[in-house]
Amino acid sequence: MAQWAARARRLLAVLRAFWAVNLAEELQYRANFVASLLGTLFWLGMAVLTAAVFFRQTEALGGWSFWEVVALLGVFNAVAGFVDALLRPNIGRIVEQVREGTMDLVLSKPVDPQFHVSFRRVVVWRASDIVLGLALTAFALTRLGRIPSIGEVAAFAIAFAAALAIVYALWLGLMSLAFWFVAVENLEVLFDAVYEAARFPVGAYPGALRFVFVYLIPIAWITTAPTAVLVGRGAWTVAATAAGVALLGLALTRLFWKAALKRYTSAGG
Amino acid sequence: MSAGRPARTGNAGRDGPNAAGGGTAATAGGGHLAGARLWLGRYAALIRAGWLVDVQYRAAIAIWLVLGIAQPVFTLAIWWVVAGEGDVEGFGRADFARYFFAVMLVNQATNAWDVWYIDRWIREGELNFRLARPIDPLHEAIADNLAYKGKTVTLFVLVWAAIAAFWPAVRLPLDPTRLALAVAALVLGAAIRFLTSYANGLLAFWTTRATAIAELHWGLSLFLAGRIAPLSLLPPAVAAVAGVLWFPYMIAFPAEVLTGDVATADALLRGFGWQLFWLAAWTVVYLLVWTRGLRKYGAVGG
Repeated sequence: MAQWAARARRLLAVLRAFWAVNLAEELQYRANFVASLLGTLFWLGMAVLTAAVFFRQTEALGGWSFWEVVALLGVFNAVAGFVDALLRPNIGRIVEQVREGTMDLVLSKPVDPQFHVSFRRVVVWRASDIVLGLALTAFALTRLGRIPSIGEVAAFAIAFAAALAIVYALWLGLMSLAFWFVAVENLEVLFDAVYEAARFPVGAYPGALRFVFVYLIPIAWITTAPTAVLVGRGAWTVAATAAGVALLGLALTRLFWKAALKRYTSAGG
Repeated sequence: MSAGRPARTGNAGRDGPNAAGGGTAATAGGGHLAGARLWLGRYAALIRAGWLVDVQYRAAIAIWLVLGIAQPVFTLAIWWVVAGEGDVEGFGRADFARYFFAVMLVNQATNAWDVWYIDRWIREGELNFRLARPIDPLHEAIADNLAYKGKTVTLFVLVWAAIAAFWPAVRLPLDPTRLALAVAALVLGAAIRFLTSYANGLLAFWTTRATAIAELHWGLSLFLAGRIAPLSLLPPAVAAVAGVLWFPYMIAFPAEVLTGDVATADALLRGFGWQLFWLAAWTVVYLLVWTRGLRKYGAVGG
């Protein structure tokens, strides 16, 4: 137990060192913050208007009302912010690192390579997506006249963390493919394509797609599940299942990553 | 966000000294015929170069195609459920299916990644050797488009035909007049979208946020170009604004000519008229930005 605690402390210390340098760099470009903020507001507006176009013609999408869908769009945006802040600038570079052989530098560090490729940098400005996304969700809840209980907020926190873990697992799994397909430089675009589906509750899709999003490509667990918890469509069962899916995803991608790493033949190979 | 990404990245190998090709034939006799032959030769060389680069990026291109169809497919799926057994303001399930298949095809054919390329040319100095060639870089971009879209659009049409064999909802009557009109609308739409993207890329002479502007343009096109719904399903005020801008003439109009939703002589004339107007307007914008930008570029880097 003490060994685990020491390891966790060490990883935290490494993380602090990574991000301190990173933050100092990013803070030199404060105009990026304004641009990022404006971009976030623009895309949030577009997302809400998109939902409004559908709701001109229908009362509900998959049984969800307009403001329930808006709450989901807030979560969608927050998860997208997490992707842009942490996954794209780190895991997104695996392809490049494998192709150019700079993965050598990662492997030679006295840190777990998965940890290093996952958390080396953070694009701090994209936190605006996370904050404003969750703010939109909160606003939608007030329009629904719904104040979630402490229990529901806790369940949401778990489901949201599970969603981030699932997205992380999807990215790591996808980008690990780079060890086999070195020439494919835009692997991350596959995630962007699939993530488009997360803009709507899975119930709004035809049956076949719904099945795919729940069981095969776990889109349902990224935006539908956390939002469902907040709007009172099942709390603890949803959160617990989401956590289970997340743990399974993390374990599987860890194995896949290790298998992929075995294929790496270094810069000269 | 994702939808505004370039159609492909990487353009290595395009930088060889021979890529422009045909330039030396300039002295071979005068007259229109020789001029035409010269340009044919140049374009043949440029298209061949673009084609050869693309061959190296087959898998990457397949992934860009997947991204291109993701949003329309999911949007169609939602409308499919909303329409149910009935219809939405006259649009039944099959109408939505045909419309969004047409949107996917038109989007592919008019796809414009040029802003990402030009932005990089300018920021990283790759424009310099292009300026040293005896041919305007515009032609390289056009040839690139022809090489890429020749392949991807053909593939798309074949896939559509295969799906239509099993799924009656996406079948189109093969009326030669309508197809010819659709092709004309498509070519004009592609030209307009290309010029918007190219001119937007040239803004990199002044700002580092040219590609961010392209993403905003792409975001607005969700509504104004008919990518989220046929324009007739948007609030009338939005549809009216869209109708006088260039957006619908890049995607919605060619798509609706193809599906037959725009079929009356009056609507066709109006659509083609707007297409020609915006093509001329964006040509002027391009020329202005290009000449002024070059002057500034020369002043800074020269």
